[in-house]
Parts: sequence; C-alpha cells; structure tokens
Amino acid sequence: MASQRIGETGLSESGPSTHHVPYGVLHGINTPPSGLMNQGSAFDFGELEEAIVLHGIKIRNDEAKASALFTGRPSATLEMFPSWPMRFHQTSRGGSKSGGESTDSGSGVNTRSSKTELQFETESPISIKASSSDHHQAFDQQQQQQETATDASRKGTSQNQSAAKLSQEKKKGAGSTSEKQLDAKALRRLAQNREAARKSRLRKKAYVQQLESSRLKLTHLEQDLQRARSQGLFMGCGGAGGNISSGAAMFDMEYARWLEDDQRHMAELRTGLQAPLSDGELRVVVDGYLSHYDEVFRLKGVAAKSDVFHLINGMWTSPAERCFLWIGGFKPSELITMLIQQLDLLAEQQIMGIYGLRQSSVQAEEALTQGLEQLQHSLVDTIAGGSIGGDGVQQMMAAMGKLANLEGFVGQADNLRQQTLHQLCRLLTVRQAARCFLVIGEYYSRLRALSSLWASRPRETLISDDNSCQTTTELQMVHPSQNHFSTF
Amino acid sequence: MHFEAAASWGGYVAGPPRGTVVGDPVERIERLASENAVVIFSVSTCCMCHAIKRLFCGMGVNPTVHELDEDPRGKDLERALMRLLGSASVVPVVFIGGKLVGTMDRVMACHINGTLVPLLKEAGALWL
Repeated sequence: MASQRIGETGLSESGPSTHHVPYGVLHGINTPPSGLMNQGSAFDFGELEEAIVLHGIKIRNDEAKASALFTGRPSATLEMFPSWPMRFHQTSRGGSKSGGESTDSGSGVNTRSSKTELQFETESPISIKASSSDHHQAFDQQQQQQETATDASRKGTSQNQSAAKLSQEKKKGAGSTSEKQLDAKALRRLAQNREAARKSRLRKKAYVQQLESSRLKLTHLEQDLQRARSQGLFMGCGGAGGNISSGAAMFDMEYARWLEDDQRHMAELRTGLQAPLSDGELRVVVDGYLSHYDEVFRLKGVAAKSDVFHLINGMWTSPAERCFLWIGGFKPSELITMLIQQLDLLAEQQIMGIYGLRQSSVQAEEALTQGLEQLQHSLVDTIAGGSIGGDGVQQMMAAMGKLANLEGFVGQADNLRQQTLHQLCRLLTVRQAARCFLVIGEYYSRLRALSSLWASRPRETLISDDNSCQTTTELQMVHPSQNHFSTF
Repeated sequence: MHFEAAASWGGYVAGPPRGTVVGDPVERIERLASENAVVIFSVSTCCMCHAIKRLFCGMGVNPTVHELDEDPRGKDLERALMRLLGSASVVPVVFIGGKLVGTMDRVMACHINGTLVPLLKEAGALWL
C-alpha cells in the first residue's frame, strides 16, 4: 500500500512538475557534489521506489541508451540514497566492496539528514518489504556508481561520459539480477519513471529548502517573542486579538530591543557609579543614557505616523505601565514626584529647580490634556453628526481629518517627556544625574516585572487543563523577571 | 491674482498690486505681534491652539489671540507665517514682547527649560 502510494507519487509526475523545480536545479545543471548528496539523501523516495519496483526487470543493459536520451545526471542521481540502505540494512553489507565507501558517504549523509529521521522511519517498511540481498548489492553498486558519478562531475567530464561509465559499472556489478527481458515500451516507461522521479526529487529539495528557511524564521520569531515576553510586554495581547498593524509590530520589536539596550545602559551607570569613574567619564555615560531616551522618542514619532492608536492605547507597554499612561507614555510630573522622594543630597538650588520643573510640567500637561479633551469632544460631535437618515460618510471624512491631530498630541507629549529628562540632567550634577537615571530605569523595570508577576500569579480557578500551555508560558515569565529586582 | 486680493479684502475694488500685498501680511503680523505682550496666531477649530491658550491662561497670562480663520486676510497671514517659520504647520504660533517664540514645540521646550517665565516677565505679561 505504502509502496504503491510512493510509487505513484514518483511516477505520476512528469511534464507539469517542472515548474515546481527551481531554475538552477533543472535539467543537467551541475550542482556541487555535497549538494547532490544532501538532496539525494533527504528525499529520493521516487527514485528509491522506482529502483525497488523495477528491480525485477533488467535495466542495466539499457542504462547507456537511456542515459544518452537524458543527461547523465538522472542516472547519477538515481542512486542518490546512500544513507537509505545504510540505516536499515547495515548488518547485511559486511563483505561488499563498496560498503566501505558507502559507509563513509552514508554516515556523512546520515548526520546531515538527521532531521528527516521521522520520514525515513515511516518509509522504512517499504525498503524492508522490498529488501533482498540483491537489492542491497544493487544499492551498494548504485552508491559506488554515484560516488564515481559525482567524482566525474566534479572533474567536469561530460555527462554522457559519466553515464557511460555508470552503465559499464552497473553491467559489471549487477550479476545477481539477471533478468534480461526488456522491450522498448518498458524502456520508455523506465525512462519516464526515472525522469519523473528526478523531478520529484528536485521538487522535494526545493521544499526542504523552503522548510529550512521557514524554520529559521520561526526560530527568530520565537526568540523575539520570548524576549518580548520576558519584558512582560505581550501580557495583554492574548485577549486583544491578533490584529496588529505592521507599524505597530515594527515598533514593538524596536521597543523590545530598546529595553534590552536600557538594561545595558543601566548596568553601565551602575558600574560607573561604583567604579567610580571620573566626572568626565560619567558625563559620557549619562549623555549616552539621554541619547538612549532620545532614541525611543524618535521611534515613537515614527510609529505615531503609521499607528498612533497603538501608542495611545499603550499596547506597546506593560500593563502596569499602561495603568499610568498619559498620552502614550509616562507623565513627566509623576516621574519627578517619584524622583524627589528617591533622590537625596540635593542642594537647595537643585531642589528649587526640580520643584519648578515639576510645576512647569504640570502646567504643560494640563494644557495638553485639555487640548486633547477638546479634540475628543470635537470628534464625538463629528462622528455622531447626522446620525438620523445619514450614512455617515461625510462625518467619517471629517473625523479622519480630526484624528490626524492625535499624532500631534502624542508628539507634543513625547516632546514634553524628552525636555523634562534633559532639564533634569541640567539641574543635577553628573553623579546625581547618573543616580537619577538609575532610579528611573529601575522604577520602570520594576513596573514591567510587576506586570509579569501579576500575570503569572497562581489562579487555580482560572487556569484549566486546556490552558496548560498558557500556564507554562506564564511560569516562564516569572523566571526572567527576577533580573528586574537587581539591587540598585 | 488681483481679483483674489480684492475679494479677500471684502469688496475694496482698488487694492494695491500683488507685490505689495505680499509684503503687507508680514508687516501686519509684525504690527499685530508688537501690539500686546503675548500674541498668539491661532485657528478657532484647532485643538493644539486650544491647548496653547490653556497653557498661558493656566500660567495667569492673558494672551491676545488672532484667529486666522476669522480674519478676512487670514490666508495671507497664514502664508506669511509659513514663510517666517519655514514649515507647513503654522498654528499655533506665539510672539512674546513682539519677538517670535515659535510653535507649540518651542513654547513647551522654553517652559520646561525655564526660559518662558522670564520672557513673560520681561514683556510685562507676568507679575509674580
């Protein structure tokens, strides 16, 4: 049954299958020998099946003829399954001359084809069913011939030459399979089968390559996702639905990287303070941290152009931070209030300066909040206008224009945040500024960790057996978050 | 072009030629800006303009506001402001003591870095 199926797969695909095959691998183009080995070892079921099915028929005599019709490649690659017999028929090939060579090639290929193990195993019954000592010997011969063929192609001899060589060797070695009956029909059928099998093999190679690249992509995505999870970012996203715009997704990735940079900067500040670095050197570190924040505001500016809602609804940040969200970010006056509590050893002038900064910030925040409120009122009126008897198209267009103002407000809010941080730096000495940034960094780190912890807190009533994977990921999140509680 | 200018002047038939009209709005802006301590050019429906007005009012300043959409020559003024600022987003724009401060960005930055209040005091818009 299975063998028939495979056979059909191998045999039924002739002409139309060519367009599935990548360009360079089509008729007669020399791929490097190692490529050959890989390609053959991975998926040559069609060839194998053909070889098994046709073994009763004597094909050796007509090898040369058939090869002359096609390129030498098909016959060379016919025996492209060194690992196949190796894996399952190892014990039976003790005395064969080509066994040594085949072993080398087979084992080499085996390691490379380890990932396709499962498939090999499922197909093994076929080979076992069809196996006989004849087959083993034939495979050995095929491998040897393939080695020769690849050597030949390496040296760049013409394909016909290698085909001729092959056919000679096959004639020599195929003593045990001695059925000499072949008519033209069988010959043609065999040739077609061979061709179809070859195409099938090439298609499978392309598929494997596709799988490989997808696998690579998947690994990268998983890494990014894991990184983001460890930052407690995607906590709320499970329920929020998968519809995230590309601008938003891009920003989320960049923000995740920014958070990693943040950890690095904080470590620098910490060691800089403990070291202790000179004021000049510390100034460089502090300025570096300021630039780091400038960078996130720049990123947000870009993201606001493509998806301002994403910034405003705070889905890019952790749930705990989202709690305190103000126009797409932290509220500067709240940050200053927190800092006033945490920073000590401030001169009176500095205290005055910071209180003044807080007051200016409050006034600016008030102004922006009221401006945004007016925008919201205006939007409500616009969207709701003409609700009775209207289709709302006009209102939609007007509302679109007003929504565009959102970007401006997020921009001004970020501008306020950026100016506040810069002014803080100006008010403080360089060591105070370093400590100040450490406090800020640690604070948001803890907020993010809090988000993770909160999400992974034991809730037996909510977590059912069905959600076992959810439990695992939440537990996963607890561990990385420990880093956030580093001593400051 | 001449007709356009005449129409925007609300019916004055014999208006000056286009050349002097271009110079006029800028002069007008300068004149308006120096008439009061704090002058804001705004658009009545603009929310950011609303925000900047709230900012000054919240500080206890009483700004003079010129709504460009309510001015017959508003378009000219807008164009002149664009040339002055070098950007398309013209409103809100603030003049203090007759001197250009800038748009919301600049005003915010000045307020945060502590230079806005002294400027206002100097112009007589604020008395502590």
